[in-house]
Amino acid sequence: MPGKALSLRLETSASDIVEIAALRGRARELERVALGRGVQLPALGRALAATDHLALCVRPERWLILTPPAAAGASAAVWQAVCAGLGAALDLSSGLNALELTGSVAREVLVRSCRIDLDPDAFPVGAACATIMVQVPVILVALASGVLLLTPASTARHFHEWLMSSAKTFGFMPPSHLNGAAVSDDQLS
Amino acid sequence: MLRIRCPWCGERDETEFRYRGDASQSRPAADAGLAAFSAYVYERKNPRGWHLEWWLHVGGCRRLLKLVRHTLTHEIRVVGTAQDQPSLPQEPGR
Amino acid sequence: MQGPGRIAHGLLTDAERPLGFRFDGQPMQGLAGDTLASALLANGTRLVARSFKYHRPRGIVTAGPEEPCALVDVIGASGREPNHLATTLMLYEGLVAESQNRWPSLGFDLMALNDRFARFLPAGFYYKTFMAPGWAWERLYEPLIRNAAGLGRLKAIVGEHAAPAETVHDHADVLVVGAGVAGLTAAHRLGASGLRVVLADQDAVLGGGSLLDARWTAWRETTCAALVGLGTVRCLSRTTVLGAYGHGVFAALQSLAGADAASSGALRERLRIIRARRVLFATGALERLIAFPGNDLPGVMLAGAALGYLRRYGVAVGRRPAFFLNTDQAYETVFALASAGIERAGVIDVRTSSLAAERARGLGIEVHAGAVVEAVAGRGGVATVRVANRDGSQRREFEADSLLMSGGYCPTTALASQLGAVLKWQEAIAAFTPELLPTVGRVAGAARGVFGLAAAARNGEAAARVIAAELGHPALAAGLGLELPVDANATPIGALWEVRAGGKAFVDLQNDVTAADVRLAQREGYEHVEHMKRYTTHGMASDQGRIGGLVGSAVLAQARGLALSEVGQPKPRPYAQPVPFAALAGGEVRQHLKPKRRGPLHDWHEAAGATFVATGLWMRPLVYSQQSGWEAVLREARAVRRSVGITDVSTLGKIDVQGPDAAKFLDFIYANTFSTLAVGRSRYGIMLREDGMLLDDGTTSRLAQQHFVVTTTTANAAVVLEHMEFHLQAVCPQFDVLLTDVGDQWAQFAVAGPRSREVVAAVVADLDLSSQAFPFMAASAATIAGVAGRLFRISFSGELAYELAVPARHALQAWLALLEAGRPFGIEPYGLDALNTLRIEKGHVTAAELNGNTSAEDLGFQRMPKQHGDFIGRALSQRGGLTAPDRLQLVGVRPVDRARRLRNGAQLVAPKARTTSLGYVTSSTPSVELAGWVGLALLAGGRQRTGERLIASSPIHDEATEIEIVSPHMLDPENLRVRA
Ligand SMILES: [Zn+2]
Repeated sequence: MPGKALSLRLETSASDIVEIAALRGRARELERVALGRGVQLPALGRALAATDHLALCVRPERWLILTPPAAAGASAAVWQAVCAGLGAALDLSSGLNALELTGSVAREVLVRSCRIDLDPDAFPVGAACATIMVQVPVILVALASGVLLLTPASTARHFHEWLMSSAKTFGFMPPSHLNGAAVSDDQLS
Repeated sequence: MLRIRCPWCGERDETEFRYRGDASQSRPAADAGLAAFSAYVYERKNPRGWHLEWWLHVGGCRRLLKLVRHTLTHEIRVVGTAQDQPSLPQEPGR
Repeated sequence: MQGPGRIAHGLLTDAERPLGFRFDGQPMQGLAGDTLASALLANGTRLVARSFKYHRPRGIVTAGPEEPCALVDVIGASGREPNHLATTLMLYEGLVAESQNRWPSLGFDLMALNDRFARFLPAGFYYKTFMAPGWAWERLYEPLIRNAAGLGRLKAIVGEHAAPAETVHDHADVLVVGAGVAGLTAAHRLGASGLRVVLADQDAVLGGGSLLDARWTAWRETTCAALVGLGTVRCLSRTTVLGAYGHGVFAALQSLAGADAASSGALRERLRIIRARRVLFATGALERLIAFPGNDLPGVMLAGAALGYLRRYGVAVGRRPAFFLNTDQAYETVFALASAGIERAGVIDVRTSSLAAERARGLGIEVHAGAVVEAVAGRGGVATVRVANRDGSQRREFEADSLLMSGGYCPTTALASQLGAVLKWQEAIAAFTPELLPTVGRVAGAARGVFGLAAAARNGEAAARVIAAELGHPALAAGLGLELPVDANATPIGALWEVRAGGKAFVDLQNDVTAADVRLAQREGYEHVEHMKRYTTHGMASDQGRIGGLVGSAVLAQARGLALSEVGQPKPRPYAQPVPFAALAGGEVRQHLKPKRRGPLHDWHEAAGATFVATGLWMRPLVYSQQSGWEAVLREARAVRRSVGITDVSTLGKIDVQGPDAAKFLDFIYANTFSTLAVGRSRYGIMLREDGMLLDDGTTSRLAQQHFVVTTTTANAAVVLEHMEFHLQAVCPQFDVLLTDVGDQWAQFAVAGPRSREVVAAVVADLDLSSQAFPFMAASAATIAGVAGRLFRISFSGELAYELAVPARHALQAWLALLEAGRPFGIEPYGLDALNTLRIEKGHVTAAELNGNTSAEDLGFQRMPKQHGDFIGRALSQRGGLTAPDRLQLVGVRPVDRARRLRNGAQLVAPKARTTSLGYVTSSTPSVELAGWVGLALLAGGRQRTGERLIASSPIHDEATEIEIVSPHMLDPENLRVRA
């Protein structure tokens, strides 16, 4: 489809990820104390971005809170104190890898494996879901800038390789050939 | 392929779920004896018609769902939580 | 004009762009926009194939994907691809195609002898003839049959991937299948109402029947342009819906075959998985053949196909065609060819009178009313047509170079049938029409028997209105207000299925099934239409018998003395059309075939020269060497036994268990007790299935009163998590417990060997590691090389050992620090093979012993299950069958001659009864601490056999080794080393 402005950017981003999960009947309390710490916990299937964090919810009464990298486990330790008696807070910074796919064809690339309806009407900015892509678990978050993908660390390379190859098969953007398309592939650990 | 409307995640492909068997069986009390446990583990009605079954949404919310599914037509009438107690429909499935 | 057949301007062809191609070595020319079939017809080529069974000469019969005969091999850069349909294969510059089923050449085919001996090849011939003995099938019959028959050749496809493809997932409110006037109308109205529509059509252009009627050009062009403008309708041409799977799921194959497809590596196919809330089948109707003697001769073609070739490609299929038909609709071809100036040999109309016949006569066309074709004759193609009145009187013969037949029209019902549609017999059109459940969708236009384009358009609109209302759009958006050309009045069909006049009359041209074969099946008891299908293979070829399916049913009905509506049609299943495997595989092939899981130190292991082994999805270092053999393995294992080694066990499953009821929950999940475990301690545990068999084992550590971390075996990590989640939610929902998979979060290393304490102490600053302060099975938070982690004193190797866990991001930092600390002691990283050597010597079990058939008792864990309290598997593990003394029990085995080796899988037999297996070797290794090989085995009543001598027999290695039975705990049975 020549003539169509196409771009795709795939970046790995480092962030601290803490999962907090409410004990039975404690979700409302947990939401209150989180709000007290300046974090509004979103409803199921939603994500809320603030200047210093992103909170999302893809499992009932469980939230992922992404913050810029700090000392290992520091964020989890803070949340463990917040959650005491109400739930659990676990550091998943190493367990999940974050990728961000931006550009006009981002969703077109994703539907090569994503079985979720990614139409902007069905999956608008602020939506979040957990699903399976290329046989591995993936959490998708629709951001204004693109789609954030969280995938288990052990399969992150597999997922990344598939994204790259799928984008190429797409015909739009072999990274070395297409002007204006940027693909950073080097930061993957 | 089944499409299952997860109460938490919305409608999803069957591939995201793991079938966990007949949900009409409930685990006997600890002292119920060998025969009761044998029935719990091995005896199944295998009906041609409505069937109560467990599906674990491993590819989504990881919640356990209780479905009312028709084994012949694949119609899914109810998708509930593990604690729901849906009754099986009387009418034939579509 | 690129061939003598090109007589006019075609709707799809570009007269300015000639294309060169070769067919069976002959250079030819066609036009851009041609299919191979239209280009061949333009060049006057009639003979394009030999038939499957009789090797009879065959020509092009249709103009679409329903083509039974014109299958060709395409020879491209990546080799030979068989079974391309000439009728759908887009012509491109340099196309090289060859005909199939001919040997040595199409014109002179030795196998055509089959035709002469046809009475020896009746229906069911293969079943009857090649009956016994069993071996003969493989060695004799099959190669013979394959050589004589078959559809194309599969050999010589070279290259890594002959046909790259991909999968795409689609979602829509409504899937409209078929873009004829009914589908176009419905798609436009639904899309204009704000619904998301996917409109799929197998043709390269949208329009369906309207493409063949010039009066509809303006309507079609306006509607298609409006559709594109809506933004809500995705129009997919060259997209065939292959299967309808219920729950609104459909599979469609989008062909991307462009001009350079065969020579370039570009994407060829796209499999679309479409999910829709409703479906509208506007799939039209297919013209059907009439079974008359010689109806397979090249030059016999469906009338509608001839109209298609004329309108779409400007090609006349013959210079002097005759027509054999029974509906007014089929006269459209007669009139179109007449106005194109083609000479007519005459029309044979089954009916005694009709409106269309009168109109034809008015144009000076001869109509033989109330007549049938009894035979066609000619060498290699139609030359003469023999006609008689229906009662057999007034035979006459005239010359014609082609016979355009039409036996009526069958609504396309296959996809609707897959969704459980009820088929209703419609006498007015002599065909079945499908009725769908409203919650599934609707059928509109010719697909539900509404013939005539204007009628189909109105029908499509009505269906759109109903669907829109059901989906919450009660007010259907206004249409485009276009005037619809008026449908001509038509005289009803005069149903005719077969003309019985001697000679082969085919009902299935691809599988060479004749009307006589159908009757033979009936006589031999294969009366049900499904039985007849399988006995004769009618409808089982790649075209699925689409143009003759109902004709076969009609012949069967007549033979059985039943109405056709009672006999019915075989049930169609996906796929509606052949699909390349590459399209089904999509993008998840080669390196994407299945996920590879890589641990956080994968790159380090690779750089260190590790040979990797796939265990489940994980890539694990097997040994740090590229050499085969045991030397490197034993060096690694020896380091552990003599000094210290380090291994990456990050692949172990790790589940975080928290909550007020965490201990009670683990007591229920595990056979042993965890509620009594002290904070800061680990315990080895076994988990049973509810049927009493072992599911998994591993250590669980209590980090806080309400906080445990469970480790599982690498292979069972996902299984155990699901097992725990299921039971927590289904069986003990009263427990307030949170389960979280932390497998990828934590990297974990085992440091093992007599010097391991010194190594670990060097990187863990904040703990006293003395046995008093940190004894065997202690667990604690620890700062490891500056990183907040966890330290466990557990051992799989049987040595003094520690496991250290750090967040995976910091794995390399901790690993390198440990290597550095171990350098003075000659620390060796060790892989899975050395790990195995160490644990076999110690008698520890892995997946080889935890094989799903072993009980706790079998593996020597009989004292581990708790005596009080419920747990999964408790009741059934006490069954007599699981505790019987003669069950296979874990033992150690050693060759009596220490120079001999053991083999995994070797059967254990008594020296005097070598055909009775008593058990088998599960694991074996050369030993570091003991002389020669050691192994573990499962042996009937094994614990009572210690000291016995048996034979380990491995016939595939031609080995029989005398072994002695020993305790599985071959090394340090008192556990002194681990407690050092
Ligand atoms: Zn769910």
